[in-house]
Amino acid sequence: MEPIALGLDQSLSGASDDFPALLRRRGLLAPIPAQTGAPAAADRSWIPTQATTILAFKFQGGVLVAGDRRATSGNTVVYDRADKVLEIDRHSIMAIAGVPATAWEMARVLEHSFQYFRRTQLQEMSVDGKVRALSKLLRDNFGFVLQGVGIVVPIFATYDAGADPAARLYFYDAMGAQFEVTDYAATGSGSPAVRGILYYENNWGKKPLAKLNEDEAVTVALRALDTAAESDTATGGVDRNAKVFPIIKIVSGDGIATLSEKRIAALFKRSVA
Amino acid sequence: MIEEPYRWVEAIANRAEYIETQLAAGSPIAAVGYRDGILFLTLGRNRQKLFEIYDRIAMGAIGHPGDIERLRMASIELASAEGFTRSAADVSLRRLAHYSLSPVLKTAFEQVYGPPYLARLLFAEIGQKQDSDLFLRLEYDGAIATNNAGFAQTRQDFGVISGTRESTELMEAFLRTELSAGATLERALKVGLDAWTIGQLALGDGAVKELPARDKIVSERKQRLRVGGVEAAILDRDDKIAIRYRPLSESEIRAALGD
Repeated sequence: MEPIALGLDQSLSGASDDFPALLRRRGLLAPIPAQTGAPAAADRSWIPTQATTILAFKFQGGVLVAGDRRATSGNTVVYDRADKVLEIDRHSIMAIAGVPATAWEMARVLEHSFQYFRRTQLQEMSVDGKVRALSKLLRDNFGFVLQGVGIVVPIFATYDAGADPAARLYFYDAMGAQFEVTDYAATGSGSPAVRGILYYENNWGKKPLAKLNEDEAVTVALRALDTAAESDTATGGVDRNAKVFPIIKIVSGDGIATLSEKRIAALFKRSVA
Repeated sequence: MIEEPYRWVEAIANRAEYIETQLAAGSPIAAVGYRDGILFLTLGRNRQKLFEIYDRIAMGAIGHPGDIERLRMASIELASAEGFTRSAADVSLRRLAHYSLSPVLKTAFEQVYGPPYLARLLFAEIGQKQDSDLFLRLEYDGAIATNNAGFAQTRQDFGVISGTRESTELMEAFLRTELSAGATLERALKVGLDAWTIGQLALGDGAVKELPARDKIVSERKQRLRVGGVEAAILDRDDKIAIRYRPLSESEIRAALGD
């Protein structure tokens, strides 16, 4: 740790920087790039991809967030055990589609931002504050997106026991606009198929998504991911030999629960395979 | 004045006396290690005195609120930046105190034209086992005292700060005899509260000079508990959770104390 110019710093802590600003001041985070350059769209050979499938929906027990495990680069499968459903704090999950380097860095900044806020301001950041913090990170990153690198399109799920509704679910676009959804959200290249399934299930399924119990919810999620993997090469399916299953996390009043591989395997065997 | 060493020494001595007077009314804070964590405890709820610094580090402070605030913010900034660039495991109280805070406090204290920090800080960092817990006291002049075994002392599982040296020493003497390794949280709360009571009795007019009798401590403790609220927080030893700091609620404390 470097020495600090503590005596000279007269700023009032109540009006202090947010955490990304602190990181930039210390040169620990890339500066916000200028957004004036010609968009990479001029080069039509390059199309930004968000190769993955992430889905989230509200059910009886809170919010379920699921993601496949495949990471791709062009036509190549780079990694088949990627974790794209990330815990940000005790009640918040960020699930990512897009460039992993940027996305994981963003998740890391976000995680530390919430902790930093609680520690310095001696209170928990509000749900709106958290949602906005991610929006700002995406906005700051947009210069990179225009340059053709670092697109990230996340889903954010959180649970605030004191609010009504307690379960909150948001999806974002690459510029940082946030959209709160009442029922479900999906992002990534496999999302069109998933959106179709979730829309169908919610309207004409046995019961609406919000009424599903945990087993039923996990079944819907697994079936949706399997469908996405069927047509989208960038979405990894289930590899039962290598025991690679999707990551499924549930956020509720008790915090975040990660479903065990065993449980997912059993449900997959019973109702998908 | 700087050219005249004698006057500089005199100025420093005056300054130390001034700061000591300012801190003398500070209500004690005890940090007590137990089997499953470290307990921070003090009484009086006028303003918060116990703070979370990072995943495994907590701080208690007496002194001027403005100065405490600046030191607290600096500590959190340093720890957070370190934890972000490297990892939470690389954030260390020893480095935070020795390399960052202490030199700054010393400089501010010795530059007689500038204001010193009116603050005395108690830090603790939770270890994997009780014998790796670190308790660290940081003085307004940058002096550091830790609980580690040195040539002249044996390791102790606690750290305290109080308004005066006499009060601090009395609390330490009490904890040295009363606290044993592997205590429960209930035991830690009771011993910590007794230590606080002793520290408080050793402050102000009519301060006691030696450890008071058992019944005197008990009656005094009960009376103080009726008047003021307990502020307590723990650092949990459970390494499955990342954030170890948790403030204890008043009802949790009263239930554990059984009175």
